[in-house]
Amino acid sequence: MRAPILRQGKILIATIQGSLSDADLLQLREELATDVRRYRSTGVIIDVTLLDVMDSFAARTLRGITQMVKLLGAISIIVGIQPDVAFAMVQLGLTLEGTTTALDLQDGLDLLHRSQEPSHHAG
Amino acid sequence: MVGNRPEGGAQFAETLEMTEQELVQRKDFLEFGDADVKALTGVNDLARRYAGSVIEDFYKHLLSFEDTNAFFKDPQVLQHVQNMQKEYFLRLTQGNYDLAYTQNRLKIGAIHERIGLPIKSYLGMYNFYLRAVATRLVEAYEKNPDQAWSVFLSLMKLTFLDIGLAIDTYIYSRERTIREQQEAIQELPTPVLPFREGLLIVPIIGLIDSQRARQLTQQLLTSIRANRAKVVVIDITGVQSVDSRVANHMVQTVEAARLMGATVIIAGVSPEIAQTMVTIGIDLGRIATVGDLQSGIERAEQVLGYKVLREQTSAHVA
Repeated sequence: MRAPILRQGKILIATIQGSLSDADLLQLREELATDVRRYRSTGVIIDVTLLDVMDSFAARTLRGITQMVKLLGAISIIVGIQPDVAFAMVQLGLTLEGTTTALDLQDGLDLLHRSQEPSHHAG
Repeated sequence: MVGNRPEGGAQFAETLEMTEQELVQRKDFLEFGDADVKALTGVNDLARRYAGSVIEDFYKHLLSFEDTNAFFKDPQVLQHVQNMQKEYFLRLTQGNYDLAYTQNRLKIGAIHERIGLPIKSYLGMYNFYLRAVATRLVEAYEKNPDQAWSVFLSLMKLTFLDIGLAIDTYIYSRERTIREQQEAIQELPTPVLPFREGLLIVPIIGLIDSQRARQLTQQLLTSIRANRAKVVVIDITGVQSVDSRVANHMVQTVEAARLMGATVIIAGVSPEIAQTMVTIGIDLGRIATVGDLQSGIERAEQVLGYKVLREQTSAHVA
């Protein structure tokens, strides 16, 4: 099942569904790269609330997306990692080094807005 | 009866794995054989005659010590235990030292343990018993000291079998107490306290083992979600020691919390724990640690953008 990408102003929101294949993930990466360029987006939120398993490929791809978005001059935030998923991930050593995470979509949006204010808070 | 503890000798025998086979092994080890049974049953008549005076001396001795006297304050209780003791005294020379016999001994041992009679008193009582009987035997077999000696040896074997059983019940009870206490410690609730909006405080007290650490992690991660926490201060002032497994687990918890968008600050790291961490080479580089809870809260407030101001500078309370 493909991950839909929603656009809200300068922000792109991708919602990953529970059953996302490796091919779907790669497609998401491609679409996001294109869309960030096309809509001149400043922020990308990847919502993984529905994901109940995060394997190493998914984690690597997410990191890849984060780095790619950064190269395109935008910020990405991964939101909605569930408690069980989070703990399983660290046990597998998938700590998503270098990515920004937030509790859910709302916190993610807050974070993006704050980081794009001219004088934002530290932290 | 206290709770659902096994009370009967049979249940005790089961938990202590006292089987026919075990009994045979114990008897073999004591070299307690048919000859001993015969020797003991042979003095049954004698035992009947002396039972009264031995028991009387026995309790005179017990009651003359404060430690043991305390257990027999109630005259009714005293009468009851005297009867029981007499029964036991006679039982020693009645043969049939089978599984039912051991079950009965285990039960008696458990009763003594439960009323809190110390092992030293228990052993002292057996010692007194053996000496009292030895004297009577020597008197009775004045003309045949060899006979007295051999009966006494048989009796000693049997009483040592009984002592072994009694000590087993003591050890078993202690082990059960330790187990229950360990369970109680593990079940110590670890509260996750919402302190300010977006700030949780988790005070950890006592012993952390892997199981408790896992439980804690689960609770913490769920609470982060439920309270929409952005910062969590884990206070480990009340934790005496941490091993490498638990330390690693803590690191993982911090990482997992970060994946959920929350920052974890560990407060109250004792010098001992700090040394342990360094010695076992746990990398806490990515984890914010502070000395005490106050610093932890100050750090958390800073991260969250709170500023706490005292309303009156002269608000000193006498």
